Amino acid sequence: MKFLDQIKSYIKISGVAPISRRYFVMNAFDGATTVLGLVVGAYVVGISSELWVTWSGFGATLAMGLSGFTGSYMAEEAEGAKKLNSLEKSMLTGLKDSVVGKASRFASLWAAIIGGGAPALTGGVCLIPFFLSTKGLFSISLAVQISVALALSIMFLLGAILGRISNRNMLFHGAKMLLVGLILTVVFLALKLT
Amino acid sequence: MIRRLVLDVLKPHKPNVVELSEALSHLQGVEGVNIIINEIDQQVENAKVIVAGVSISFEDVKKKLEELGATVHSIDEVAAGKRIVEEVMTPQDSSARM
Repeated sequence: MKFLDQIKSYIKISGVAPISRRYFVMNAFDGATTVLGLVVGAYVVGISSELWVTWSGFGATLAMGLSGFTGSYMAEEAEGAKKLNSLEKSMLTGLKDSVVGKASRFASLWAAIIGGGAPALTGGVCLIPFFLSTKGLFSISLAVQISVALALSIMFLLGAILGRISNRNMLFHGAKMLLVGLILTVVFLALKLT
Repeated sequence: MIRRLVLDVLKPHKPNVVELSEALSHLQGVEGVNIIINEIDQQVENAKVIVAGVSISFEDVKKKLEELGATVHSIDEVAAGKRIVEEVMTPQDSSARM
């Protein structure tokens, strides 16, 4: 409980909550879009093995997670150091060992976990049908359909979250995000038809 | 045996005075805390911190303030001993003000 209180206090002091919310939505959307593109692309070329999608999707998800983690960490660490230096100048004292310094270091790590975890999570969820397909639970075509449905649902959900955050219409914002996924799917399907 | 401390403190905006006063009130020997903001700057604020109790450790108060990112600029008043002695006005004080 004390550990959780400390985390809450660091989040409050560092003001990392809105930043991590942005990272979550942006990177989660990236994760879902990438796997959606991969799955629809694989469907267009007529995949014969679910293992191909599972492993290439897993590779892409892992890369997005790692990229999100390191990118967010480095960006937030640099921003945090700049803010802390400026505050130290105003305070005329070092703040590295104070709760402000600790909160700043925690904020970088928190942003990195969210920035890396979000695409890995959404990408991973979209790949579950293919993983189950390798175990013989689904056919490839059913795995494609479920995976696309999952990716589009995640996009809608992310849009709805944005609508809730901004106190606007959740359905409308969900539909706006969903449209992006639908455009991608339609473009790929049109490619298959040509 | 310190009973009352009045400190001039410079602190960042976060943690705020509510968190600061709560943290100080949990220190051993502290019975009450009052924090008044005197001045607010873009990044920092100047506060008057009054700590009252039965046996206050100045070092503990200073350490806690530093832990929370604040610095003690000056010790403006200390009351120690078996009872708190209040400031008294003397004829010199009133003539000095005239």
